[in-house]
Amino acid sequence: MMRLPKFEYRVPRTIAEAVKIVGDVGPTAQFVAGGTDLYPNMKRRQQTPRTVISVMRVPELNQITGDGKSGVRIGASVTLTDIVEHPLINRDYPVIAYAARTISTPILRNMGTIGGNLLLDTRCNYYDQNYEWRKGINFCLKKDGDVCWVAPGSSKCWAVQSSDLVPVMVAIGAKFRLASTLGERMIDAAGFYNDDGIDYLKKRPDELLVDIHLPPTNGWRASYQKLRRRGAFDFPVLGVAAYIKFENGRANGERTVRDAKIVLGGIAPSPIQIAEASAALIGHAFDDEYIQAAAEAAYVKARPLDNTDFVMNWRKQMARQYTLRALRALAVSD
Amino acid sequence: MSASPNHPIGKSVPRKEGRKKVTGQALYVDDISFAEMIYGVTVRSSVPRGRITNISFAGDTPWDEFTIVTAKDIRDIGGENYVALILNDQPYLADEVVNHAEEAIVLLAHPNKYLLEEARRNVRIEYEELPAILTLEDSVDKKEIIWGEDNVFKTFLVDKGNVDEAWTNADLIVEGEYFTGAQEQLYIENNGVIAIANEHDGVTVWGSMQCPYYVHKALIKLFALPEDKVRVIQTETGGGFGGKEEYPSIIAGHAALLSLKCGKPVKIIYDRAEDMVATTKRHPSRTRHKTAVTKDGKLVAMDIEFVIDGGAYCTLSPVVLSRGTIHAAGPYFSPNVRIRSSAVATNIPPHGAFRGFGAPQGIFALERHLDKVAKAVGLTPDEFRRRNFIQQGETTATSQIIREKVDMAGLLDRAFELTGYHEKRQRFAKENEQSRVKKGIGFATFMHGAGFTGSGEVYLASVVGAEATSEGRVKILAASTEIGQGTNTIFAQIASEALGVDSDLIEVAQPDTANVPNSGPTVASRTCMVVGKLVESAVLALKQTLVGSGLLREDYSQSEFQEACRTHIEKFGPLKTFSTYQAPPNIHWNDEKYQGDAYGAYAWAVYVAEVSVDSLTYEAQVEDFVALQEVGRVINPVLATGQIEGGVAQGIGFTLFENVVWQNGRMANNQMTNYIMPTPADIPPIRVYFEENPYAYGPGGAKGIGELPMDGPAPAILNAIENATGVSFDHVPLMPEAIMENLTNVLHGITL
Repeated sequence: MMRLPKFEYRVPRTIAEAVKIVGDVGPTAQFVAGGTDLYPNMKRRQQTPRTVISVMRVPELNQITGDGKSGVRIGASVTLTDIVEHPLINRDYPVIAYAARTISTPILRNMGTIGGNLLLDTRCNYYDQNYEWRKGINFCLKKDGDVCWVAPGSSKCWAVQSSDLVPVMVAIGAKFRLASTLGERMIDAAGFYNDDGIDYLKKRPDELLVDIHLPPTNGWRASYQKLRRRGAFDFPVLGVAAYIKFENGRANGERTVRDAKIVLGGIAPSPIQIAEASAALIGHAFDDEYIQAAAEAAYVKARPLDNTDFVMNWRKQMARQYTLRALRALAVSD
Repeated sequence: MSASPNHPIGKSVPRKEGRKKVTGQALYVDDISFAEMIYGVTVRSSVPRGRITNISFAGDTPWDEFTIVTAKDIRDIGGENYVALILNDQPYLADEVVNHAEEAIVLLAHPNKYLLEEARRNVRIEYEELPAILTLEDSVDKKEIIWGEDNVFKTFLVDKGNVDEAWTNADLIVEGEYFTGAQEQLYIENNGVIAIANEHDGVTVWGSMQCPYYVHKALIKLFALPEDKVRVIQTETGGGFGGKEEYPSIIAGHAALLSLKCGKPVKIIYDRAEDMVATTKRHPSRTRHKTAVTKDGKLVAMDIEFVIDGGAYCTLSPVVLSRGTIHAAGPYFSPNVRIRSSAVATNIPPHGAFRGFGAPQGIFALERHLDKVAKAVGLTPDEFRRRNFIQQGETTATSQIIREKVDMAGLLDRAFELTGYHEKRQRFAKENEQSRVKKGIGFATFMHGAGFTGSGEVYLASVVGAEATSEGRVKILAASTEIGQGTNTIFAQIASEALGVDSDLIEVAQPDTANVPNSGPTVASRTCMVVGKLVESAVLALKQTLVGSGLLREDYSQSEFQEACRTHIEKFGPLKTFSTYQAPPNIHWNDEKYQGDAYGAYAWAVYVAEVSVDSLTYEAQVEDFVALQEVGRVINPVLATGQIEGGVAQGIGFTLFENVVWQNGRMANNQMTNYIMPTPADIPPIRVYFEENPYAYGPGGAKGIGELPMDGPAPAILNAIENATGVSFDHVPLMPEAIMENLTNVLHGITL
């Protein structure tokens, strides 16, 4: 049986206490919230913390406050089920509720948290295996080995960013608050992820993700489209978040796009912003001609590797279709 | 004779063990513990083929605390290092060479599960790698000889009429080639056993399994023990689907070897990753068809070449091949049929039993091919089949005369009525021109034989016992296992109906080789039709004994029956009767020529699938599914419907989702996160209908049902996809990637 190794389990009640423990114990400590990502990884020995610090009992991390007018703050250990069911999130940030609803299954959403999902370990067919299986291929770059089996010869790890919420957070311009014994800092979601499957976060190991700050809903809209094999359960092998904001007033009866973002998840170690797609849309009417051009840009920039479900060519082809769907979803409810 | 007011056959009486299961009281093997019990794990090969050059026990593991078993220990106890089955070629523990990845080499036992897992990692095995064969094609081409002289475990030839002479009489000859992939059984409960073994008492094993007597037979050889020194007990079993037909013999042997060496009870439970990577799967297959027809659509000759990939050892491949071979020509009459089949070796973990047992592979090929033949002749798929359906009195590929009433055309009419087939066919053709999502409807018509093939049942000579208790209850003694399919419940219904007493009075004994006779394995859709019939005759013999002794009138009440049992036991001691299998009359089988009555009875079926294919994403979705079958008499409608629904869902998985990814001979996606089985979100409404036509030699008229629903979904769905897209696909699993490759040139309005 795959079993959890022995570890020390700590349950702090305040942020200060939590960051102090991790500061005292050092790099062998790791935070956990719902544990739906960390514990299976520990069973497979992909992650091997000696001390696990639960942040589920820190009240400040369990709250949702604010509203669409002023912006909303979501504590990192709010469960995905609470996000999915929250009236305010559903009213003011339906894209967040929708993306959260596509994550895994109800049972796992009952345990899994928004913070855990935003910090989700990168995934790869060669890495998400039990110890014996990985040993059989002499391990891989990400853990215990020195070869990347996706791209042998590569010095970079290509494990894939596989959260449904990450592309959405990047697209809408959310900010994350991090705390450590050294103090607090805010960081943009867009600058939080590295294009490296091993060192995939700008967060230091001693920093705690405290909360997520959603911007006020002043006129923008966003959508998310997820590609997966089944109608439930699976991680995205492509996720497309689309964000659009119009100029005030209309020119020739049409609204002009002031800002636009297309962010692809599930195809690279980090979420990929398609600047060419934004360029194709900004300053133009939001009609099918420009939407097609943006989708084409997403297709060109999507370079999935052969390390998730589905063959990569199909996933690349789908980048166009799913970008079209994400953008068209925004055009419908004008 | 009957005093029972409620004839239970045909009624959906609740599952006998259902209450225990839903309240958590049922004991599965991992719920069971013995004093002093310790745990076992298996160290496996990491290469597909090689010579073991060194085994070392490294790291900071306290090795002196561990029980360690290798092939040498089997030699030391004078046992046979093979899993006794058909060819006895598979070792319990690899000795010098390994022939597939994940082959067991070393066994470890220790009281501490955590130390055990660390220890498994510290066993270092070095190999001199040998060239391996990893695909069916390479094995057939003999790129390397890895088994015997020619990589072939078994071949069959079915030869009816004269195919070679028939080609000249044909107006049209149509050829095709079809492939199916491996599939994992994915029972809910993984493989697991507990063994207690010592020199004095022999070997006792408790475990999750389908066939206690298979395990019994294998352990006798492994430990060189007499029959009565080996005892095998089935614990509550969380599903099998064939995956617990032959494999439990291996894990049981492993646990017993460890137990014998350490003198303590040993439990081995696989986790899901180990179960998926190391245990058996459905045989991948390749089928080639060459079919001769007249211009008015009558079959003249069918020439079929059927090859299955058996993996590294023979296991059950010859019998899987046999069933696949016989089903490969379907429910059609053709004067000339030749089926050449073979099971070949590769260096991947052995493939084994899985619901359908070779038949789904051959039926997929045939039902896809017949749509192709119909098109070539210029007939609709249904009209072409109608002209060739086998009729009562005609002969199958093995020249078996169909004596029962059979009405495939009638089944087809009803299935089309239930689905609005013709109307949809027309409507979809029109709508698809304008629509991004293309819709289609397709069907498959097929038969499935119940019971062992040919003379198999005669050789098995299964026995069932019935024992009266002094409380006036009747206990059924059979080795048939309850694995979720309803064995306990239908046996009680059959006995209750035959005796005319309430089914609550019937107990079904836990399969335990010390207490129940060998009624054969729980496989081959045989439990109801074959073993159920023995249950019926065993309890009737019990009643006859009571009547013969003068304690019971022919016409009795339930309380009189109970009273008679009590009196008989008081006067004469224990009352047990046994019934042994006897073939129905007129069943003849020639094993050499593979001609004759292949099965006592067939279930007949028409399955219709409606699909949609998104022309932009190439995803195919099953929108509606009708499963119509004639299975003799239905004993328990709820259980039977559940069997069909589950089988269709499993069939949809086989067709559109479940893709075993092989990497150097090893399953790369051996987890439920990446071996994708459909969830309820991916399964359409499955509408199940039965036609009843009682079979004279089945209990209450029943035939077999368990494997049938696995046969129809794959061809019905791919036929529907062809109807939707105009493209014919020849392999399953069919993924969107493959649809994209084939479709981009065909559908209009798509730019890439």
